[in-house]
Amino acid sequence: MSLVAVAEKDFHDAVRSRGMAILVALFSLLVAVFAFVIRPTGQSEQFATELLLRFFVGPFLVTTLVPLVGVVIGYNAVSGERESGSLKLLLSLPHSRADVVFGKVVGRGAALSLAVGAGFLLPAIVLVGLSWTGQIAAFNAGSYLGYTVFAAVLGVVFVAIAVGCSAAASTQRRALIGGVAIYVLFVLLWGALTGQVLGAASPLIDPLPVSTTQIRTFLQVANPTAGVEALTSAFLGGQLFTGESVNRQISAASMLVFWTLAPPLVGLWKFDTDDL
Amino acid sequence: MTAIELRGVTKEFADVTAVRDLDLTVEEGEVYGFLGPNGAGKSTTIDMLLDLVRPTEGTVTVLGRDATRDGVDIRRRTGVLPDGFSVYDRLTGRKHVEFAIRSKAADDDPDALLDRVGILGDADRKAGGYSKGMRQRLALAMALVGDPDLLVLDEPSSGLDPAGAKEMREIVRAESDRGATVFFSSHVLEQVDAVCDRVGILRDGQLVAEDSVEGLRDAVGSEETLEIAVDAGGASGALDAAAEAVLALDGVSRVDRAGDTLVVDCDDGAKTRVIAAVEDAGVTVDDFHTREASLEDLFLAYTEGNAAATRGGSEAGAAAHDASPDTTADAASAAADTVTSDTADGDEVGE
Repeated sequence: MSLVAVAEKDFHDAVRSRGMAILVALFSLLVAVFAFVIRPTGQSEQFATELLLRFFVGPFLVTTLVPLVGVVIGYNAVSGERESGSLKLLLSLPHSRADVVFGKVVGRGAALSLAVGAGFLLPAIVLVGLSWTGQIAAFNAGSYLGYTVFAAVLGVVFVAIAVGCSAAASTQRRALIGGVAIYVLFVLLWGALTGQVLGAASPLIDPLPVSTTQIRTFLQVANPTAGVEALTSAFLGGQLFTGESVNRQISAASMLVFWTLAPPLVGLWKFDTDDL
Repeated sequence: MTAIELRGVTKEFADVTAVRDLDLTVEEGEVYGFLGPNGAGKSTTIDMLLDLVRPTEGTVTVLGRDATRDGVDIRRRTGVLPDGFSVYDRLTGRKHVEFAIRSKAADDDPDALLDRVGILGDADRKAGGYSKGMRQRLALAMALVGDPDLLVLDEPSSGLDPAGAKEMREIVRAESDRGATVFFSSHVLEQVDAVCDRVGILRDGQLVAEDSVEGLRDAVGSEETLEIAVDAGGASGALDAAAEAVLALDGVSRVDRAGDTLVVDCDDGAKTRVIAAVEDAGVTVDDFHTREASLEDLFLAYTEGNAAATRGGSEAGAAAHDASPDTTADAASAAADTVTSDTADGDEVGE
């Protein structure tokens, strides 16, 4: 399977980069610092795993740093090889351009998942150890593990968006601009921008059988960071894909799938017609 | 069965036409040398064989399949040494070859391939630390994976020292003996000379000559170039008359004027008659010397000058004969600039 060969090669290449080790160290350090900050002071107090995740790791690490890392890992995936000339070596082998684009998504997505996993789990091992020896009470390892998976999913979505952008960009410079734009759009400006669009489009929406609020809610979870937030908060509340917000969660999950597939496809469509 | 067939292929980029209405056929089992100066369109042509670049017009067929539609199938049976590539800096040489083996679903031994190209000792080093020559050898090892039916080598000797270039030629020969078709490009003639069954010369995106090496050699080898320094005494009319008289002689294929020098391509036996004809026209011969034309002359004449497009060695001479002195002047002076009589023995080029 050609795609798998490309993904595997790319994974090996990515995990050998110096940035990878730095990333794991950075994630571990931040999680450890947060855990230390909210450490229980009295013996009877419980270790607040949900508090750690929901109010510290979530907003500071996952929804801001993980997308940034995803963009950084993905933005030069295709354009970087195109500019350096290693793409010639890659495409001299029997790979289609689709194999290249989706192989990159898989390979770099796996590398990022590994970084997130390792970065989150190293401090978790310490926390589990402490809770076993009775130093802290009841560290909720299940919540923590599940949360790590959601963090990795968010990272993979941003890798996919950035790889799509990279495939469409004919130069490394354009890919970089695209990467920055992706981050600014999804992490910083999404709410303001969609609000503006919605306000401007309200005369068009009024005659439709959907309310502005419904569209606003959809647009909100259409942003992958908000989508993952909605899913993790349901997960930590023990209501993943159940309860009142089930519709919201389903839209969030489908939008995550959409963002993983559509940008690489659009990028491929452009990449496939280019002279290299 | 043809390995490569281009029919009426044109490739236009935004600012330049790289290849114009090119027809090219390479038979199965042949070693074909694709020659031309930098910028002639060689790499664009090769990129079209590999579907890195799509033709604006015409069809490209490789191993019986359409290059644009069946690129992956073609590359499964083709080994490619690209030009201007780079390696994956963080992966070892062995990892590179293993990746190629996996990609082609072949069962080669990576070490055997690395040994064959002479970099087995560096197999576990990261390729980012390789020299240009070692990278070239690594890419060749990747190209040889899976005993391909066709080898496409773009400037294979670039970055190699003379010993490396010789090893490269030996590998080309061995692959050809195995039955593979080899198509390789070069801007250095001597690499082509030693191994090619047939040579095509590309200039400005068009094939200006195509023949066997012997054929090309025959076209120039039976002739010598006579350079006659004359004193026309300021009478340019007399020199013109002399040039015309010489061109009318049997065995003379070309006459050029370069200042006070007449450059004449002629048969070995015609030299004395040429000198006599010049003097009969009332022009004093100050000095003259001869040199044997080499393949290098022909190459330069075709690629830098205005030599007429021909196919086949015997026609090359005839076409040059038909050409007026004016149209071939550039070619001759270009050749004369770069080739001295000392080095221009067409026989001992290469090995």
